[in-house]
Amino acid sequence: MAVDITDKAFISGLIAKEKRTQRQGGRWLVLPILALTIAYLTPLYYLFVTIFKTSEEYAKKGVLELPDSLAPLADNVVQAWTIANLGQAAMNSFSYALVGAVLSVSFAAAAAYGMTRLHLLGSNGWFMLIFTGTLFPFQMYLVPLLFGYQRLGLVNTWFGMLLVYVAICIPFPLLVLRNSFSSITREVDEAARIEGASEWRVFTSMIVPNAMGPLIALFLLQFTFIWNDLLFSSILANGIEVRSIMVALQSLQGTYSTLGPNVVITATLISSIPTVLLFIALRKYFMAGLQLGTK
Amino acid sequence: MIATASALLSPQVLKEARQRERRVAWQQTRIAWLFIAPAVLMVTLFLLTPVVFNVILSFTKWQKFTGLDQFAGFNNYARLFRLPYFSEALANTAVWVVGAVVFPLAVGLGLALLLRNIPFQETFKSLFFLPRVLAPTAVAAIWYYVYAPRGVLNSAVSGITGTPFDFGWLYDPATITGSVIVTFVWQTVGITMVLLLLGLAAIPKDPIEAARVDGASNFQIFRHIVWPLLLPTVLVVTILNVAAGFTTFDLLWVMATSFPGKRTLSLAVYMYYESFSNGAWAYGSAVAVVLGAMVITVSALLAVVQARVSKNIR
Repeated sequence: MAVDITDKAFISGLIAKEKRTQRQGGRWLVLPILALTIAYLTPLYYLFVTIFKTSEEYAKKGVLELPDSLAPLADNVVQAWTIANLGQAAMNSFSYALVGAVLSVSFAAAAAYGMTRLHLLGSNGWFMLIFTGTLFPFQMYLVPLLFGYQRLGLVNTWFGMLLVYVAICIPFPLLVLRNSFSSITREVDEAARIEGASEWRVFTSMIVPNAMGPLIALFLLQFTFIWNDLLFSSILANGIEVRSIMVALQSLQGTYSTLGPNVVITATLISSIPTVLLFIALRKYFMAGLQLGTK
Repeated sequence: MIATASALLSPQVLKEARQRERRVAWQQTRIAWLFIAPAVLMVTLFLLTPVVFNVILSFTKWQKFTGLDQFAGFNNYARLFRLPYFSEALANTAVWVVGAVVFPLAVGLGLALLLRNIPFQETFKSLFFLPRVLAPTAVAAIWYYVYAPRGVLNSAVSGITGTPFDFGWLYDPATITGSVIVTFVWQTVGITMVLLLLGLAAIPKDPIEAARVDGASNFQIFRHIVWPLLLPTVLVVTILNVAAGFTTFDLLWVMATSFPGKRTLSLAVYMYYESFSNGAWAYGSAVAVVLGAMVITVSALLAVVQARVSKNIR
């Protein structure tokens, strides 16, 4: 049978048929995928039934059974909040994450500007120096930082903790911003310079607004990193006034804890709220940020 | 016209122009220093100096209650191999690196391929990404109760088999590493999947269509077209997960709260335990140096492979 491949109707018919078979195959897959998804989400289901149980209820019932009422949540929140001093810890972590992410991304942006836009002797050398900061595992910083901090009296201080976070969060944003600044056309800032704008002016009003996407994504990534940190804060700032929320959360859990799992699980939920909300609000930037990480 | 131009460009004029240019360049360099100074200072003071100092410390006898004045030579490094803990931690770290690379990749790739052609795929993708948004410490605390003797996993097992089951997954040296790796995979498979989907989306459709017309099977198409083109993405994911496998701390430390033998669960945990639970700071530094040397070597090798593979494709 002769086939007329110039016949548009024939070709589109073929494509539609192909798509139909593909979709039918896809439909058949939905059930196993659904089962897999349910198994995958069971720990989160467990989280949501547990926060509504009292300690007695948790001990009596199966772990996946539904709670009797929604009321115990309030008491669980109050217990987690007061016993672990979660409120103070949340404020500490929020200030570390907010100030730390803003400062580190700003410092990285300024450095990226200096490296891509200005005549800088040894620009690549300076870049490599900072980039070296991404190579070593965090374990290599811990003992010397504790040593130095003890000598300088910075152990268990808010400012000392912040300094470490800012430094840790500079190299990766610099790597990303050096690329994004290079892709902004130079004509814009040359024109501004001829008009007599200072470098600071060019940086803040020409370059930064043109790189808002990556800047927000990086802020989000670094905020989340600092909020989630347990390693550094457990060593450098574990005093109750300065400790991070992850240190407080960790102190709730374990053999020596007298609290029921219902309170600990409620605390895990509380400790995740800020980053989950940020993620939902800035989802678009977060996904862009992930792609930044692979380039 | 030409004559006047060359008259203007006399050696004297040229020299002055060059001097002016150099002056402007020097001025710009000084401004550039101001721009890079905060980043350079912070990174040098808080990251690079500690790394150098860590190496020096590893050759001393510094401990919680003794001074820094005594030099230990290679004693700390010799001790690594005298005590059984280090080699156990090293073996577990190897399991971690392999597990953290292979499982997220295999499951993530499976999910990416499955979720591409089904209805509601965006919803499914978001659901699998969800755990990534939680803090590792929070995930560890939740999974601590999933694996508890009266936890989620055991009640699911007894529900299916009909017999009571109360195994302590996080109390047995035979199961704890595998259990924590499962939690790691649970948290990271979503991002691995998203990265692989991005890689898959970038593969051109034409060669696949052409192969299908020629009668190639789905497996052949995957093996000979999709996989080689996806390899750079696979290697990027591998580099990220190798580093995670070497250095994961939060998950292990929190999930192993009640495990007496936790110091040998990985080098990252061993380093922390010796330095901060035992106060053997110099010895902990030596463990950190070994860990750092391994991470950097493996990552560098993978980066070279990745660069070569990406170049071959282009």
